[in-house]
Amino acid sequence: MKKFKKMLAFFMAFSLAAAMLAGCKSKPAQQGGDSTKGGGTENTVKDGGAQKTDEADSSQNATEVSIWHYFENEADALEKLVNDYNEMQDEIRITCTYVSREELMKQYTIGAVSGELPDIGMVDSPDMASYIALGVFEDITEDLNGWEDLQYFYDGPLSSCKDAEGRIYGLPNNSNCLALVCNMDLLNAAGYTKPPKTWDELKEIAAATTDPADSVYGFAMCAISNEEGTFQFIPWLYSAGATVSTLGSEIAVKSLSFLTELVNQGYMSKEVVNWSQGDAYNAFCAGKAAMLETGTWQVSTIDADVNGTFQYKYSLLPKDKEYSSVIGGENFGVCVGSKAKDACVEFLKYMQSAENNADWCEIAGKIPVRSDSATLKDMWTEDERYAVFTEGMNYAVARGPHEEWPTISEAVYSAVQSALIGEKTPADAMAGAAAIVDPIIAANPIAK
Amino acid sequence: MKMEARKRLEGFAFILPGFLYIVLILGYPLLYNFVLSFKNMDVKNFKTAASVFIGFKNYIFLFKDETFQLVFKNTFVFTVGCLVFQFVIGFVFALFFSKKFTLAGPIRGLILIAYMMPMAVTALLGKNIFGVSEGVVNDILMKTGMIKEPVEWLVSTGTAMIAVIAVNCWVGIPFNMLLLTSGLTGISDEIYDSAAVDGANFRQRFFHIILPLMRPAILSVLMLGFIYTFKAFDLMFVMTSGGPLNATDVLGTYAYNLSFTQYKFSLGAASAIVLFICLFAVGLFYLKLISKEED
Amino acid sequence: MKGSKIKHIGFTKQRRRNIIGCFISILIAIVFLFPIYWLIIMSFKSDTETFGKILTYYPHKFTIDPWLENFRDKDFLVSLRNSVVIATLSMALSLTLGIPAAYGMGRYRVPGRKALLLTFLITQMLPASLMLTPMYLIFNNLNILGTFFAPAIAIASGSIPFIVITLRPYFKSIPVSLDDAARIDGCGVLKSFFKIMLPTIKTGIITVTVISFLNGWNDLAYSMTFNVEAKMRPLTANIYKFQSKYGTRWNCIMAYGAILVLPVILIFVFLQKHIIGGLTAGAVKE
Repeated sequence: MKKFKKMLAFFMAFSLAAAMLAGCKSKPAQQGGDSTKGGGTENTVKDGGAQKTDEADSSQNATEVSIWHYFENEADALEKLVNDYNEMQDEIRITCTYVSREELMKQYTIGAVSGELPDIGMVDSPDMASYIALGVFEDITEDLNGWEDLQYFYDGPLSSCKDAEGRIYGLPNNSNCLALVCNMDLLNAAGYTKPPKTWDELKEIAAATTDPADSVYGFAMCAISNEEGTFQFIPWLYSAGATVSTLGSEIAVKSLSFLTELVNQGYMSKEVVNWSQGDAYNAFCAGKAAMLETGTWQVSTIDADVNGTFQYKYSLLPKDKEYSSVIGGENFGVCVGSKAKDACVEFLKYMQSAENNADWCEIAGKIPVRSDSATLKDMWTEDERYAVFTEGMNYAVARGPHEEWPTISEAVYSAVQSALIGEKTPADAMAGAAAIVDPIIAANPIAK
Repeated sequence: MKMEARKRLEGFAFILPGFLYIVLILGYPLLYNFVLSFKNMDVKNFKTAASVFIGFKNYIFLFKDETFQLVFKNTFVFTVGCLVFQFVIGFVFALFFSKKFTLAGPIRGLILIAYMMPMAVTALLGKNIFGVSEGVVNDILMKTGMIKEPVEWLVSTGTAMIAVIAVNCWVGIPFNMLLLTSGLTGISDEIYDSAAVDGANFRQRFFHIILPLMRPAILSVLMLGFIYTFKAFDLMFVMTSGGPLNATDVLGTYAYNLSFTQYKFSLGAASAIVLFICLFAVGLFYLKLISKEED
Repeated sequence: MKGSKIKHIGFTKQRRRNIIGCFISILIAIVFLFPIYWLIIMSFKSDTETFGKILTYYPHKFTIDPWLENFRDKDFLVSLRNSVVIATLSMALSLTLGIPAAYGMGRYRVPGRKALLLTFLITQMLPASLMLTPMYLIFNNLNILGTFFAPAIAIASGSIPFIVITLRPYFKSIPVSLDDAARIDGCGVLKSFFKIMLPTIKTGIITVTVISFLNGWNDLAYSMTFNVEAKMRPLTANIYKFQSKYGTRWNCIMAYGAILVLPVILIFVFLQKHIIGGLTAGAVKE
């Protein structure tokens, strides 16, 4: 009895303390705004109460702009860019908040209903069209009128910031694409000195390097059931000459048949259907795959992960009819409801200026979105690894832009999965995908 | 008469704060999804369709959709599969560990760790353990000679559900054990001992004393277990993303995918309401079962 | 003479039972704890070893970096505090509202009690992810977004029905004689609730306490959705740090899992003592 009473008392005291802490929560944010960095450091649009006091207290009259992003390894570089900007002028004060990608997409979706959004939001390029349709991003076409720099942006990345009418809702921040990386030790051992250039060569080398006894597969990619799976399949589809608008065509079936054959012959693990791009990359670094379909962002970590255990070499993805790759990258858009739209656009222009885009992409290991940035540094042509990706960008296709891209994408990766695990023939799988995608595209064609 | 009215008031006074809290916080979300499920809101007409009602079209669409039919079936397979194993084994464990032997306490405590683990970590662990070439389950089965070829656990549509159920049971067994253990301790030793003195063997004691006495506790454990398992989400979301090919897609992940990935908000709400209606039916059944003791 | 012989037989029988019990329980433990073992060793391996060509059953190259990386996080202590606050607050809310409700449902024949019970159940019948948007709208109106109250209230809305459903049978099973005894002793309603009813079903109370704490401790979705600020994040949010486009950092995630469980185990060990204590005390002897 006594013990129980003691516990009860303990419990009540504890929860009281917790309640007080929870209630106090809005205060530290305000204090932070008053003193530490001279203006709401943690000012989010969501905490209405705190924001009001912040605005009243920050005597400099600086316009507060909040940015939500999901940069991980690049977060420091972004912080630096933002700090430089904050110090450079005192009209606009930017604060960054990291929100994981999954979570950020959830926030946009909820924000589309509730209207509570940051001032500037980062978004994966194929998702942008959907969020534009959902009213998450603000039309900034007029604000960019007369901004001469706009002409330097590559069409592919910039198109992902536009709606069907060509209105602009944001600026692309960086690009990446896919290429092939080979474990040259394994290739050499099998008697090959160069990465494959065609599908046939890929198959041949994959066959020669596959070694079940040593658990080595000839080729690895990602065919997981999400956007990543679609991303990795698109180069094969387009290389054969098909597009997402012609999924039912024979050439589309051919591209899927090729990959299915790799699995059926044992050159590629069936487990790719559960592998994210990171998992496939891990398998390659562990020496368990001779060749990998790899992304630009993986260049920055490959030396540490391979750790000198083998020599590697990058090359364009092998081609069937033509070389192909796929554009990835992130955009930043001004969110609907932002009270500081002008300031947001100002910052976006600064962030995506030729020098800043070059600096940023160099630090973050990405490809610039402007033709004039790419010439500012020699990294994208001198470092032969990045040079491959820079060349690949010439062949890279954009996903969409289409507001129903997620549905198109689901149809594509499902088809790939069902063929790879042998649930359907490639022809049936592609026919199934076409049955879903064709009506969508017929009703609302992909903007050119 | 007065006395009875007073007692009623007393009862309400105890119930009402919690009841109102629940209704206030969760009533609106329920209503919100219910209303949304009769609309036609998706990414295409999000800005314009806020007030367009289309009746039961979403529901009709869902039940005609092959993927949804599969998901619907998966949800039941998963729930029943999990409930049977985790309840039976959990109950056996609860009985077993209520015996007095030296390691009963410590090992019961250790088993509970599985339940305490965040689901995302458990799911990733499951993904690793059930890997085809580098999974430890296959490795052990091969080394002990129980299989010759690696089982394609999460790669094949036939076996993925088994692996997912196994991982969920790993979490669910301790949960059931915990709830049933505290139910068992309600049975006083005297009742137990007097039965033993009467010469009742274990089977008789189990069916004539333990089961009837624990019936209410068992029913609530099963009811809660059904609800939690039926709306499972985290496990599949992390371990298989519902794959391969929707083989482990359940209503929880399906509704999430529709709402947050495909932006088909009304369809997502409709599939959530289907989930709701299934659980509602089970809830009514539960009420019927417990109404004997109520009256 | 006769008496001592019986005692002797009883002793060996008990001992044999003890040995058998221990033996079986060890077998159970091996199966059940193997995944935990696997988690622990994965947290001490490098990911290259985990995904290497040979499956290793213990870390061939032992590393403690994944653990350090978790602890070194500059927000570790803040996140830890946030987790404690969220879990405690949601637990407090759940218990103070849930236990009385369970008591009222279990021991009073209030009219419409079936409807009440069904309502408690109904609120749990929607998948949590679909509740996020409408809940967000409510909390936005209440102006509690960006405070710990938002996730705590949301988490408690799941725990309260759980407590009601679980404890209701316990309260029901308390013999009426105990009520009468309390009345005769002159206990008021509240006094009899706190002094007699609660201690009687102590085991049940402790169980729901632990579970409602865990509900808060392991929450990720609510805390992340309703609080975007980095300063407000619970420990569970760190999982995102180790799962990025650069791949999953398995060893860090496994260490993270272990770190999240440790405090709960400690609490449990502390409470387990009380559970065992509760078995011998409490309960009415008829």
